[in-house]
Amino acid sequence: MTDPTVAEAWVAAPLRRLMDDARLISGVMLYPTGRAVGQFGFSNAADVMSICALTSAINASARELGRQLDGKPFYETHHAGADRQVFMARCIAGGQEFLFVGVFDRESSLGVVEIYFAEFQKALEKLRPEAQTTGKGPSGDFEGELNRSLDALFGPIGKR
Amino acid sequence: MKMLSEVVASLSHLPGVVVAMVVGAIDGLIVETSGMKGGTGEHDPRKHTAALAAYLYSKAIRAADAARLGTPAFMRLEAEQGHICVVGARDVVLVTIVTPDANLGRVRIDMMNAARSDL
Repeated sequence: MTDPTVAEAWVAAPLRRLMDDARLISGVMLYPTGRAVGQFGFSNAADVMSICALTSAINASARELGRQLDGKPFYETHHAGADRQVFMARCIAGGQEFLFVGVFDRESSLGVVEIYFAEFQKALEKLRPEAQTTGKGPSGDFEGELNRSLDALFGPIGKR
Repeated sequence: MKMLSEVVASLSHLPGVVVAMVVGAIDGLIVETSGMKGGTGEHDPRKHTAALAAYLYSKAIRAADAARLGTPAFMRLEAEQGHICVVGARDVVLVTIVTPDANLGRVRIDMMNAARSDL
Protein backbone atom coordinates (compact mmCIF):
# COMPACT_ATOMS: atom_id res chain seq x y z
CA MET A 1 0.00 0.00 0.00
CA THR A 2 1.41 3.38 -1.02
CA ASP A 3 1.36 6.49 1.15
CA PRO A 4 -1.42 9.00 0.55
CA THR A 5 -0.63 11.88 -1.79
CA VAL A 6 -2.08 15.16 -0.60
CA ALA A 7 -2.73 18.63 -1.96
CA GLU A 8 -2.89 19.98 1.61
CA ALA A 9 -0.29 18.68 4.06
CA TRP A 10 -2.43 18.83 7.21
CA VAL A 11 -4.53 15.87 6.09
CA ALA A 12 -1.66 13.44 5.35
CA ALA A 13 -1.31 11.90 8.82
CA PRO A 14 -5.02 11.32 9.58
CA LEU A 15 -5.58 9.98 6.06
CA ARG A 16 -2.68 7.56 6.43
CA ARG A 17 -4.05 6.32 9.75
CA LEU A 18 -7.54 5.84 8.34
CA MET A 19 -6.13 3.91 5.39
CA ASP A 20 -4.13 1.60 7.68
CA ASP A 21 -6.67 1.10 10.47
CA ALA A 22 -9.74 0.57 8.27
CA ARG A 23 -7.77 -1.48 5.74
CA LEU A 24 -9.06 0.57 2.84
CA ILE A 25 -7.95 -0.27 -0.68
CA SER A 26 -8.33 3.27 -1.96
CA GLY A 27 -9.84 6.56 -0.87
CA VAL A 28 -10.19 10.22 -1.75
CA MET A 29 -10.87 13.20 0.50
CA LEU A 30 -12.32 16.19 -1.26
CA TYR A 31 -14.18 19.45 -0.88
CA PRO A 32 -17.93 19.20 -1.59
CA THR A 33 -17.19 21.19 -4.76
CA GLY A 34 -15.16 18.25 -6.07
CA ARG A 35 -11.64 19.58 -5.44
CA ALA A 36 -9.39 16.77 -4.18
CA VAL A 37 -7.49 17.25 -0.91
CA GLY A 38 -5.78 13.88 -0.68
CA GLN A 39 -5.94 10.36 -2.04
CA PHE A 40 -4.45 6.91 -1.70
CA GLY A 41 -4.65 3.79 -3.85
CA PHE A 42 -4.82 5.60 -7.19
CA SER A 43 -2.01 6.18 -9.66
CA ASN A 44 -4.10 7.80 -12.35
CA ALA A 45 -5.30 11.42 -12.15
CA ALA A 46 -8.23 10.66 -14.47
CA ASP A 47 -9.59 8.09 -11.97
CA VAL A 48 -9.41 10.60 -9.12
CA MET A 49 -11.03 13.25 -11.33
CA SER A 50 -13.96 10.91 -12.08
CA ILE A 51 -14.32 9.90 -8.44
CA CYS A 52 -14.31 13.51 -7.24
CA ALA A 53 -16.95 14.53 -9.77
CA LEU A 54 -19.14 11.50 -9.01
CA THR A 55 -18.75 11.76 -5.22
CA SER A 56 -19.63 15.43 -5.31
CA ALA A 57 -22.74 14.67 -7.37
CA ILE A 58 -23.74 11.63 -5.27
CA ASN A 59 -23.34 13.66 -2.09
CA ALA A 60 -25.59 16.42 -3.41
CA SER A 61 -28.17 13.88 -4.58
CA ALA A 62 -28.08 11.90 -1.32
CA ARG A 63 -28.60 15.04 0.73
CA GLU A 64 -31.58 16.08 -1.32
CA LEU A 65 -32.97 12.54 -1.26
CA GLY A 66 -32.64 12.54 2.54
CA ARG A 67 -34.47 15.85 2.76
CA GLN A 68 -37.27 14.55 0.56
CA LEU A 69 -37.62 11.18 2.31
CA ASP A 70 -36.61 11.82 5.89
CA GLY A 71 -36.74 15.58 6.34
CA LYS A 72 -32.98 15.76 6.87
CA PRO A 73 -29.95 15.17 4.61
CA PHE A 74 -28.29 11.77 4.30
CA TYR A 75 -24.63 12.29 5.19
CA GLU A 76 -23.39 8.71 4.94
CA THR A 77 -23.73 6.30 2.04
CA HIS A 78 -22.68 2.68 1.71
CA HIS A 79 -22.85 0.47 -1.34
CA ALA A 80 -21.96 -3.22 -1.10
CA GLY A 81 -20.80 -4.67 -4.39
CA ALA A 82 -20.05 -8.32 -5.06
CA ASP A 83 -16.36 -8.01 -4.15
CA ARG A 84 -15.78 -4.41 -3.16
CA GLN A 85 -17.75 -1.92 -1.11
CA VAL A 86 -17.91 1.86 -1.20
CA PHE A 87 -18.30 4.09 1.85
CA MET A 88 -18.97 7.83 1.53
CA ALA A 89 -19.38 10.30 4.37
CA ARG A 90 -18.66 13.86 5.33
CA CYS A 91 -16.14 15.22 7.83
CA ILE A 92 -15.45 18.68 9.17
CA ALA A 93 -12.16 20.40 9.89
CA GLY A 94 -11.93 23.97 11.12
CA GLY A 95 -15.57 24.61 10.24
CA GLN A 96 -14.96 23.55 6.62
CA GLU A 97 -16.86 20.57 5.32
CA PHE A 98 -15.12 17.79 3.37
CA LEU A 99 -16.25 14.54 1.79
CA PHE A 100 -14.52 11.20 1.94
CA VAL A 101 -15.02 8.17 -0.27
CA GLY A 102 -13.29 4.88 0.51
CA VAL A 103 -13.22 1.43 -1.07
CA PHE A 104 -12.75 -1.79 0.87
CA ASP A 105 -13.15 -5.51 0.37
CA ARG A 106 -13.51 -8.59 2.58
CA GLU A 107 -10.28 -7.70 4.38
CA SER A 108 -12.35 -5.09 6.21
CA SER A 109 -16.02 -4.56 7.05
CA LEU A 110 -18.52 -1.72 7.19
CA GLY A 111 -18.43 -1.79 10.99
CA VAL A 112 -14.64 -1.49 11.06
CA VAL A 113 -14.66 1.31 8.47
CA GLU A 114 -17.34 3.19 10.41
CA ILE A 115 -15.48 3.12 13.72
CA TYR A 116 -12.17 4.23 12.22
CA PHE A 117 -13.89 6.88 10.13
CA ALA A 118 -15.41 8.23 13.36
CA GLU A 119 -11.86 8.46 14.77
CA PHE A 120 -10.74 10.16 11.56
CA GLN A 121 -13.57 12.70 11.96
CA LYS A 122 -12.49 13.41 15.54
CA ALA A 123 -8.85 13.81 14.47
CA LEU A 124 -9.84 16.29 11.75
CA GLU A 125 -11.98 18.34 14.13
CA LYS A 126 -8.83 19.16 16.07
CA LEU A 127 -7.02 20.46 12.97
CA ARG A 128 -7.17 23.96 11.56
CA PRO A 129 -6.90 23.66 7.78
CA GLU A 130 -8.18 27.16 7.01
CA ALA A 131 -4.79 28.71 7.73
CA GLN A 132 -3.32 26.62 4.90
CA THR A 133 -6.21 26.98 2.47
CA THR A 134 -6.70 30.75 2.50
CA GLY A 135 -7.85 31.94 -0.87
CA LYS A 136 -8.83 28.47 -2.05
CA GLY A 137 -12.53 28.61 -1.33
CA PRO A 138 -15.11 27.49 -3.91
CA SER A 139 -14.92 29.81 -6.90
CA GLY A 140 -17.62 28.27 -9.07
CA ASP A 141 -14.89 27.12 -11.47
CA PHE A 142 -15.44 23.41 -10.90
CA GLU A 143 -13.16 22.16 -13.66
CA GLY A 144 -10.38 24.60 -12.84
CA GLU A 145 -10.42 23.73 -9.13
CA LEU A 146 -10.44 20.03 -9.89
CA ASN A 147 -7.51 20.33 -12.29
CA ARG A 148 -5.48 22.39 -9.83
CA SER A 149 -6.01 19.82 -7.09
CA LEU A 150 -5.07 16.97 -9.46
CA ASP A 151 -1.90 18.86 -10.41
CA ALA A 152 -1.07 19.05 -6.72
CA LEU A 153 -1.65 15.31 -6.25
CA PHE A 154 -0.10 13.88 -9.41
CA GLY A 155 1.96 16.74 -10.87
CA PRO A 156 1.10 18.90 -13.88
CA ILE A 157 -0.23 17.23 -17.04
CA GLY A 158 2.68 16.00 -19.12
CA LYS A 159 4.76 15.25 -16.04
CA ARG A 160 2.36 12.66 -14.53
CA MET B 1 -36.08 -20.62 17.51
CA LYS B 2 -35.96 -17.69 19.93
CA MET B 3 -36.22 -14.03 19.03
CA LEU B 4 -32.81 -12.37 18.89
CA SER B 5 -33.80 -10.12 21.79
CA GLU B 6 -34.50 -13.23 23.89
CA VAL B 7 -31.09 -14.70 22.99
CA VAL B 8 -29.18 -11.61 24.11
CA ALA B 9 -31.39 -11.18 27.19
CA SER B 10 -30.82 -14.78 28.21
CA LEU B 11 -27.03 -14.52 27.78
CA SER B 12 -26.82 -11.15 29.49
CA HIS B 13 -28.45 -12.60 32.61
CA LEU B 14 -25.57 -15.05 33.12
CA PRO B 15 -23.34 -14.07 36.04
CA GLY B 16 -20.36 -12.06 34.82
CA VAL B 17 -21.73 -11.23 31.37
CA VAL B 18 -21.51 -7.46 30.97
CA VAL B 19 -23.12 -7.31 27.56
CA ALA B 20 -24.34 -9.79 24.93
CA MET B 21 -24.73 -8.93 21.25
CA VAL B 22 -25.75 -10.49 17.96
CA VAL B 23 -23.51 -8.98 15.27
CA GLY B 24 -23.46 -9.26 11.49
CA ALA B 25 -20.61 -11.63 10.58
CA ILE B 26 -19.74 -9.77 7.38
CA ASP B 27 -20.47 -6.13 8.16
CA GLY B 28 -19.67 -6.17 11.89
CA LEU B 29 -22.77 -4.11 12.70
CA ILE B 30 -24.88 -4.78 15.79
CA VAL B 31 -28.13 -6.61 15.02
CA GLU B 32 -29.33 -6.94 18.63
CA THR B 33 -27.73 -6.03 21.93
CA SER B 34 -28.46 -6.16 25.62
CA GLY B 35 -27.94 -3.14 27.82
CA MET B 36 -24.51 -2.64 29.39
CA LYS B 37 -24.43 -3.74 33.02
CA GLY B 38 -23.17 -0.81 35.05
CA GLY B 39 -24.07 1.65 32.28
CA THR B 40 -22.04 2.72 29.28
CA GLY B 41 -20.35 5.73 30.90
CA GLU B 42 -18.96 8.39 28.56
CA HIS B 43 -17.97 5.97 25.82
CA ASP B 44 -20.23 3.09 24.82
CA PRO B 45 -17.84 0.25 23.86
CA ARG B 46 -20.44 -1.91 22.14
CA LYS B 47 -20.15 -0.65 18.56
CA HIS B 48 -16.34 -0.86 18.55
CA THR B 49 -16.31 -4.25 20.27
CA ALA B 50 -18.91 -5.67 17.89
CA ALA B 51 -17.11 -4.54 14.73
CA LEU B 52 -13.65 -5.61 15.88
CA ALA B 53 -14.78 -8.92 17.41
CA ALA B 54 -16.57 -9.89 14.17
CA TYR B 55 -13.46 -8.88 12.22
CA LEU B 56 -11.21 -10.87 14.55
CA TYR B 57 -13.47 -13.90 14.30
CA SER B 58 -13.29 -13.76 10.49
CA LYS B 59 -9.49 -13.89 10.80
CA ALA B 60 -9.74 -16.76 13.31
CA ILE B 61 -11.76 -18.70 10.74
CA ARG B 62 -8.96 -18.21 8.20
CA ALA B 63 -6.29 -19.16 10.73
CA ALA B 64 -8.15 -22.33 11.69
CA ASP B 65 -8.62 -23.16 8.02
CA ALA B 66 -4.92 -22.56 7.31
CA ALA B 67 -4.04 -24.90 10.17
CA ARG B 68 -6.53 -27.44 8.78
CA LEU B 69 -8.55 -27.39 11.98
CA GLY B 70 -11.94 -26.78 10.46
CA THR B 71 -14.40 -24.13 11.62
CA PRO B 72 -13.71 -22.48 14.98
CA ALA B 73 -16.29 -23.45 17.60
CA PHE B 74 -15.58 -20.79 20.20
CA MET B 75 -13.17 -17.86 20.45
CA ARG B 76 -12.14 -16.25 23.74
CA LEU B 77 -9.88 -13.24 24.05
CA GLU B 78 -8.48 -12.88 27.55
CA ALA B 79 -7.55 -9.35 28.59
CA GLU B 80 -6.46 -7.74 31.87
CA GLN B 81 -9.98 -6.81 32.94
CA GLY B 82 -12.10 -9.50 31.35
CA HIS B 83 -12.83 -11.55 28.27
CA ILE B 84 -14.46 -11.20 24.88
CA CYS B 85 -16.19 -14.40 23.77
CA VAL B 86 -17.34 -15.01 20.20
CA VAL B 87 -19.29 -17.85 18.60
CA GLY B 88 -20.25 -17.96 14.92
CA ALA B 89 -23.75 -18.84 13.75
CA ARG B 90 -24.02 -18.65 9.96
CA ASP B 91 -24.57 -14.98 9.02
CA VAL B 92 -24.11 -13.62 12.52
CA VAL B 93 -21.72 -13.95 15.45
CA LEU B 94 -22.62 -13.93 19.12
CA VAL B 95 -20.37 -11.63 21.13
CA THR B 96 -20.18 -11.26 24.91
CA ILE B 97 -18.02 -9.10 27.13
CA VAL B 98 -17.37 -11.01 30.35
CA THR B 99 -15.80 -10.11 33.71
CA PRO B 100 -12.67 -11.99 34.88
CA ASP B 101 -14.58 -13.79 37.63
CA ALA B 102 -17.38 -15.10 35.40
CA ASN B 103 -18.16 -18.78 35.01
CA LEU B 104 -16.60 -19.12 31.57
CA GLY B 105 -17.70 -22.72 31.18
CA ARG B 106 -21.34 -21.75 31.58
CA VAL B 107 -20.94 -18.76 29.25
CA ARG B 108 -19.31 -21.00 26.65
CA ILE B 109 -22.01 -23.67 26.78
CA ASP B 110 -24.88 -21.19 26.66
CA MET B 111 -23.33 -19.26 23.78
CA MET B 112 -22.71 -22.43 21.79
CA ASN B 113 -26.21 -23.73 22.47
CA ALA B 114 -27.70 -20.42 21.41
CA ALA B 115 -25.64 -20.43 18.22
CA ARG B 116 -26.61 -24.02 17.46
CA SER B 117 -30.34 -23.89 18.15
CA ASP B 118 -31.55 -20.32 18.63
CA LEU B 119 -30.00 -18.42 15.70
